[in-house]
Amino acid sequence: MDAARRRELQRRADRLRLRAVRMVAPHGFGYLGQALSSAEVMAVLSAGAYRPGVDELVISPGHYVIAAYAVGAEMGLLSDDELATYGQDGSHLEAIGTETSPFVDVTGGSLGQGLSSGVGLALAARLHGRSDTTVFVLLSDGELEEGQVWEAAMFAAHQGLGNLVVLLDANDSQVDGPVSSITTIEPIGEKWESFGWVAHDVDGHDVAAVDKALGLSIAAKRPSVVIARTSTTHGLECLPEGADGHFIKISPELVAAAVAELEARGA
Amino acid sequence: MRNLPPYPTELKPYGRALVELARTREEILCLSGDLTRQTEIDLFQDEFPERFIHAGMAEANMVSMAGALARRGFVPFVHTFGVFATRRPLDQIVNCVAYPNLPVRLVGFMPGVSSPGGPSHQAIEDVALMRALPNMTVVDVADATEIRQAVGAIVDVAGPVYLRLKRGEIPVIFGADHEFSLTSAQVLQSGEDVLLVASGMMLSAALAAAQVLGDAGLSVGVVNLPVIKPLDSSGLLAAISDARAVVTAENHSVIGGLGSAVAEVIAESGLARRLRRVGLADTFAEGAKDATSLFRKYGLSTQDVVDAAWGAIERHDPAPRAPVVETTPGEYAPV
Repeated sequence: MDAARRRELQRRADRLRLRAVRMVAPHGFGYLGQALSSAEVMAVLSAGAYRPGVDELVISPGHYVIAAYAVGAEMGLLSDDELATYGQDGSHLEAIGTETSPFVDVTGGSLGQGLSSGVGLALAARLHGRSDTTVFVLLSDGELEEGQVWEAAMFAAHQGLGNLVVLLDANDSQVDGPVSSITTIEPIGEKWESFGWVAHDVDGHDVAAVDKALGLSIAAKRPSVVIARTSTTHGLECLPEGADGHFIKISPELVAAAVAELEARGA
Repeated sequence: MRNLPPYPTELKPYGRALVELARTREEILCLSGDLTRQTEIDLFQDEFPERFIHAGMAEANMVSMAGALARRGFVPFVHTFGVFATRRPLDQIVNCVAYPNLPVRLVGFMPGVSSPGGPSHQAIEDVALMRALPNMTVVDVADATEIRQAVGAIVDVAGPVYLRLKRGEIPVIFGADHEFSLTSAQVLQSGEDVLLVASGMMLSAALAAAQVLGDAGLSVGVVNLPVIKPLDSSGLLAAISDARAVVTAENHSVIGGLGSAVAEVIAESGLARRLRRVGLADTFAEGAKDATSLFRKYGLSTQDVVDAAWGAIERHDPAPRAPVVETTPGEYAPV
């Protein structure tokens, strides 16, 4: 990847962060950390790999839908006015995704179910002879504690669903603290490989590394997973030390600082 | 309709009906949770292998996947035992099927205590669980004729359906003139003393009990209520208002199923009618070699329906005795 492309993808990721900051700002708290950790993955995904109307997008952890809304706006499919209603009374942009959520094909909320939905969509594409369709499923690392993920992983490999790509946001964050302090889910890559998947373990904030892994995953004949190692506070230097990445509190002053920081970086 | 047992039986009426329907309905998919022969869909697997999806012993994945297939224009029929079709993947049914209101058909075999397999295999609260879910249609059919007609009827329901089916030999109670309805309760006979309301495997017991009570001089009504949700409240109320008392009979816990649904209708209508519910009395079922023993042990026999009716109309003399019906192999009679 050349430097210009890398810079543009990085700016795109920062624009997603900026939109997420603006969505949670009126609430004073929210799922900002999920947008921060997945920003580069979502930026790369939405810069050509994912084609709305052809491909499918599943957001398994429903609270990550904030990142999908930001991507929808980035792609011109959602307006900033719609984003401004995020999580408000009467809005169809609920903070944890629902059937009214725009842009995504399926969103979860009850964790661990999204990969099965992706498997169903991948099977449907195959049965319909839509060989050009790729099904992208965003998973979080905490979700790997749910047994259903592994039911789906086993089934997908058995069926040879090469049109299925998992984007695993490994941000080591769950409600009660770091995933690694609660359940040992490592070695993540070897687990997926042993289930018959192709696994790419990358720095999830390195757009070039994510882009390369995503390209290989789309082309693979087997189901593939991009394990993106990330942080819930990445890309916002102004966040205080020890901020709870799962559910970030953000004061109006911090919002101003975050907007200034991201705009200064060219978001 | 054949009024009295023993009834002749059929094998695999569901499996054959699904195959016939699938010949013209290419959107039908058949999913199995590792109980293919037991749920009669070996017939489908043989006929349409390209539309048969073996999901393995992974019900959570199977149900979520079925929801996604339904989003893309398929009508997935999902097969396993009732316990594994409802209680095990309940959250998946809620989030991937019922809330998005998708046309998934959950087909659960071996209802209530029709299996001596212990509480792990006995679906005694499946109707309650499914009835509580918004958008869900709940169907508990009584015989092979109803099964055939129900398969054709539920395929076009816009949202999800739970279809509860007996496993193995299926009695033939109704003739070809029977008309299964998704919208109307079916009054099989009218009566002024007591109304028996039954679904599924307890319909034959209700019919047998009606005969016994009729022979004892009572005027007995019988309503067949295979569609427990959406409930035909007005049709049911019309039948209830004709009678002095009501007895419900279900192969299920008395909490949350047919009996509860009827109780809600009576209570909200303001009608003063005594109600007795025949069913599992808030208990798990253990300790038997066969279903017959369980039906007797847990109060699901014809005699239990007779006794409940007798009590409901406040008769204090001994209730009439239900005759023991002898069956030959291939015949079915309620306990």
